[in-house]
Amino acid sequence: MKNQNRRDFLKTAAGIGASIGIAGSVKPAKASEKTLSDDRFGILVDTDVCVGCRHCEWACRVAHNIPTPDLDTYSDNSVFKEYRRTDASSLTVVNEFENEKNSAMPVHVKTQCMHCEHPACVSACIVGAFSKLEDGSVVWDGDKCIGCRYCMVACPFQIPTYDYDRSIDPQIRKCDLCFEKRKTEKLPACVNICPNEALLFGKRDDIVRIAKSRIKRKYDVYIDHIYGEKEIGGTSWMYIAGKDFEKLKLPKLNYSPAPGISESIQHGIFAYFVPPVTLYALLGTIMWITRKKKGDDSEIKDETNQDKKGGAL
Amino acid sequence: MKKTILIISPLLVICAFAISTLFSQNKHQGLNETVDKLNRNVVVSGKKDDPLTEKISCKTCHVTEYPTRKDPGLRSCPRDKMLSGFPSSKTGPDVVVINEMSENYSGVRFSHGLHSQMSEMSLGCVDCHHYNISTEEILKCSDCHNKNRSREEVSVPDLKSAFHRQCMMCHKQWSHDNGCNSQCHVRKGQENNLVQKDFTGKIHPKQKEPEKMIWETNYEKGKIVTFFHDEHIQLFKINCKSCHGNDKCVKCHDKPLQPTDYSKPIHRKKSFEEHHMPCLNCHKSENCQKCHRDQEMTPFNHGKSTGWILKSYHSQLACEKCHGGQMPVKKIDRNCSSCHKNFLPGKFEHKKTGFVLSETHKDMECKSCHANNDFAKNPDCKECHDDKSFPSQLPGKRK
Ligand code: SF4
Ligand code: SF4
Repeated sequence: MKNQNRRDFLKTAAGIGASIGIAGSVKPAKASEKTLSDDRFGILVDTDVCVGCRHCEWACRVAHNIPTPDLDTYSDNSVFKEYRRTDASSLTVVNEFENEKNSAMPVHVKTQCMHCEHPACVSACIVGAFSKLEDGSVVWDGDKCIGCRYCMVACPFQIPTYDYDRSIDPQIRKCDLCFEKRKTEKLPACVNICPNEALLFGKRDDIVRIAKSRIKRKYDVYIDHIYGEKEIGGTSWMYIAGKDFEKLKLPKLNYSPAPGISESIQHGIFAYFVPPVTLYALLGTIMWITRKKKGDDSEIKDETNQDKKGGAL
Repeated sequence: MKKTILIISPLLVICAFAISTLFSQNKHQGLNETVDKLNRNVVVSGKKDDPLTEKISCKTCHVTEYPTRKDPGLRSCPRDKMLSGFPSSKTGPDVVVINEMSENYSGVRFSHGLHSQMSEMSLGCVDCHHYNISTEEILKCSDCHNKNRSREEVSVPDLKSAFHRQCMMCHKQWSHDNGCNSQCHVRKGQENNLVQKDFTGKIHPKQKEPEKMIWETNYEKGKIVTFFHDEHIQLFKINCKSCHGNDKCVKCHDKPLQPTDYSKPIHRKKSFEEHHMPCLNCHKSENCQKCHRDQEMTPFNHGKSTGWILKSYHSQLACEKCHGGQMPVKKIDRNCSSCHKNFLPGKFEHKKTGFVLSETHKDMECKSCHANNDFAKNPDCKECHDDKSFPSQLPGKRK
């Protein structure tokens, strides 16, 4: 099944390659950038309200069929000793940071894919496995993914993770904002369970307005900045906090959209006149070696060869 | 043939790629502009961006479907202007059962009586019953806080979070954990294993108020600050909440209940403002040495601090009799007639002061003896009598 899809994909890729040759115009295979809806959602993480119960982590696992221990075990505070990152079995994690103003109230910060307004992962993905939907969510299609892991490099928040444990059909994993679940239930699992509504889900415009009003009302609590309102052109998830965002491990980023980053890598390649084909040939070889283990030599060779063309688009 | 394809295909690919890069850059530029415009729009329109004129849905205030001018159908919402004070903490319910939204956990038995009694050490009922300062009707939390998390108007917290925020902001600091089971809830299905503590009829032991407090500060020009707590309460009648309004339980209960990693003593860093504000609210002074001294201060003495020694009659009076009930106190001058409106020449009965004027002095103007009408100073005899002085010769007799 998988191989069948793959062949289909390669056919499309080759077809596009050919049409470029003829028409001289470009229709990249990557996700079409639909105009974002005015009603697209935004989520505010109010770190002053989050108590670090980690129920969101539990709910996320349950919603994505990831095995999890009982909810009661999540009240164990010892996990906060080390800084944790999202991984294939934790699409969201809550970390704890010191609160200089009151040590009894440490700051908790939930992290997950930010669902950027101009997602670098979407731009970086050479086969269009990532797409930005009209409602704001950034989703990933496993059938299209070739496992090049460009998205992992491109993402300024280092969010997409590779499911290394699954040798067959490995998956890129990241928060999908409960895309499937939201078709029937309105809220993502984490937002739904949060006891304090530290995660506020609504229209992005409303969320920004509310964040501003909270900062204004509790001016002695919050820093006057909404992280994610403008960073890399804006993100769907936004944060307000009483502590410097960099100290909360939210990276300091430009206000211009990040796709520039991945594109400049590719520009760089041009500048030094390294034909991208060389790069893809290299990548292809690596893939070929990994694939070879599965023992389907002839077909793989054929595919890698075509990957060069398809990939460069 | 094969060769040509081999040479041309990478070139084609490169060309296509170059075009695609240019193309996509332009597109982003376009997007940027749109986003910029959108942002500008928000700023320009002002109202939209101003949190204080934030849009609220009509239903927040109007209960009826079609409110009219005659019948606006307003929800009872006593705001600050209408407040007439809360009933005493003792009149509220002792236990309130909250089980409106239990999902994973069973409902909570909230010891309302104990909490309202404890709230008197801080902000009082208003700490939880915000916007609802009334003796007439206590609104239910669910009157304003929506039970539904997925809702149109999200600026007001939903009911679940309204409850949790009230409880957890204190409880988390106090117990250093977030265990739902350990504090308020019982996990569904485990009701039999855990017995929830019963706080019915429990009260917090009475707090002993300190008389005076002495701080050693690092201020160079005066390290010692003395604070007379008893004076502020008994003499100046300062309301507890004007200083303790933000206090939480941890102020005293700063030891973790269980030995956890959080066994370090709680450290609360107060800013310069936070440290000084409670005093500066009334003591509006730029002079640090007013409080920062080299040694401990002595208790308040009206004569020493103001230069006006309170004698017999005045020393019996409550401060507000002269200085008004408001803090900071009203400053008053030394003219008797500022307070004693009937102390006018011809009307004043001098014997009230304990001194009966002789016949010759009785009808004279006050300022003839009390220069400049300053009644704090001794009367001056020299104006009229070269050979008389006060108090060796008296213009009358003591009563
Ligand atoms: S946070 Fe990373 S993975 Fe998520 S949308 Fe942005 S670039 Fe893509
Ligand atoms: S569920 Fe809510 S309060 Fe708990 S850790 Fe997650 S965001 Fe914070």
